[in-house]
Amino acid sequence: MKDINEGTKKMILDPGVYCAEAVRLAAFVFSDRAAIRVVPRGRASTAVISGPDAERLAGEFMNEVLNQQCRLDLAKKNSKIAGIIVTKALLSAAGK
Amino acid sequence: MAQKPAAKGTNLSGAVLPQVLWKKTGGNYLLTNDSGHHAWLEEKNFAAVTAGRLPQTSPLFAELASKGFIRSRLDFNDLAAKWKKQNAYLYYGPGLHILVLTLRCNHKCLYCQSAAAGLGAKNTDMPLATARKSVDFAFNSPNPGITLEFQGGEPLLNWEALKGTVAYARKKAKTSGKELKLALVSNFSLLTAEKAAFLLANEVSICTSLDGPKDLHNRNRLFTGGNSHGETLKWLKYFQKKNAAPPPGCRVFKPSALLTVSKYSLSRHREIIDEYVKAGLEDIFIRPLAPIGYAKSLWGAIGYEAKDFSAFYLKSLDYILKLNRGGVVIREKTAAMMLDKIINFRYPGYLDARCPCGAAIGQLAYNYNGDIYTCDEGRMVGWAGDVLFKLGNVFRDAYKKVMSSGLTRVCAVSSNLEAQPACARCAYKPYCGVCPVYNYATQGSLWGNMPSNDRCGLFKGIFETLFAFLKNPGNTAILKKWVAK
Repeated sequence: MKDINEGTKKMILDPGVYCAEAVRLAAFVFSDRAAIRVVPRGRASTAVISGPDAERLAGEFMNEVLNQQCRLDLAKKNSKIAGIIVTKALLSAAGK
Repeated sequence: MAQKPAAKGTNLSGAVLPQVLWKKTGGNYLLTNDSGHHAWLEEKNFAAVTAGRLPQTSPLFAELASKGFIRSRLDFNDLAAKWKKQNAYLYYGPGLHILVLTLRCNHKCLYCQSAAAGLGAKNTDMPLATARKSVDFAFNSPNPGITLEFQGGEPLLNWEALKGTVAYARKKAKTSGKELKLALVSNFSLLTAEKAAFLLANEVSICTSLDGPKDLHNRNRLFTGGNSHGETLKWLKYFQKKNAAPPPGCRVFKPSALLTVSKYSLSRHREIIDEYVKAGLEDIFIRPLAPIGYAKSLWGAIGYEAKDFSAFYLKSLDYILKLNRGGVVIREKTAAMMLDKIINFRYPGYLDARCPCGAAIGQLAYNYNGDIYTCDEGRMVGWAGDVLFKLGNVFRDAYKKVMSSGLTRVCAVSSNLEAQPACARCAYKPYCGVCPVYNYATQGSLWGNMPSNDRCGLFKGIFETLFAFLKNPGNTAILKKWVAK
């Protein structure tokens, strides 16, 4: 995490840990809290976050990127059972 | 189907655990699995089990095998039956239908999530035609049991609509063959003997708010028209008397009360519980505040952290158990609902803690103008100007369209614990649930981020307390008695 200037932080996200989709999802979640610019940097992504209290926001943004990455990883393993449960619930509610 | 026999040629468990959830608490490990079984292991036993070194001759092996914790001894029929019993809601549609008969209220409660409208705002009363249309919509649900809950604002301010809806719904239930339950949530301040007689004659169950002793209750629940606490106690007593000696041909339910824990309640658990006992109530439903809707804007003044609520809940349950040991009949409702799952493998109808959550597929909230929301919390977000959780309107949208909408689907998908990173491996998963509305309101996404989610912290606090008490033999019999029916 790097200071660009006061109120702006730059984060380089390792593609071995975070995929581009996780970074974009986290940026979307944060879209009403701060200005975030996501820029591809080779296989990695760079996120620039600006706004008041950028230091804290940058930390929270990194937590959200991790959350999204874990969710995507979990979906690869659990999507079948998760799909069965949700499908059953929705079909029952619709009376099918 | 019987348990699978032991593998030949070994007297050890010989295999690692099947998919199991666990949590280290103090020096012990709590093990749970998807069928809802739980077991406690000391550290050395946990190491032996996970390494497959637990002798098959040990009593612990037999206990773990009977609970589905030994891979080579799984009784799939039994485990599946328990899972199905606990997740029975997956086989029905929405059973709870909340009718917001008016936004008007004569109270101005500190924590009110719905920002009640003033007494003059009659334009926020639900017309009878809208109420009837909402009842028609509710009866489209495939659920064989329909509960209509009248809420507000203060629903008694729209008495004619309430009366008309009760009569219409009773008629509708007869022709549809569905079981109908009617419930009123009221502050009682507008109740009269005539209205009470109507509610009794029509078997409407009654629920109110009681926040503790007079000074605390009235501080939380501002009522310029009189003494809110006094009215509450007066009518609780009235319905209790009727319950003890029901009018001929009438079934009268025991009245119930909800405790909303405000910042001012946190240091007064004993007085609050004593007030419930004094009022003759046998249940206390300890509910935390939620920073949703109007309450979100007041959070700085009235809110608290999950750890504060957890400490309050621990002290409260401890005191309630002490009273029980002394022969007093008083039960904490959240605990009872969770214990029903933990002990009886039963779904207690608690829409806030299930997977997926009850939004749309378990409950629907009908606003005064016929707008349909996923739940009451979703309606409160709508009140704050964000209609993300609005599913449609009773005059414009068909039931099947609402149930197959993108919003219904996304609420189910995002509250599925199998898709939640922290929840999928949490020891409390078989008994817990997440709330997409809470996640959205507090963390900006329907999925939320559990490690920093205060609702997750609240539920963890409740489960930690419950399992700790359940482990203590002095409490086990009392807690089991709470859900023995």
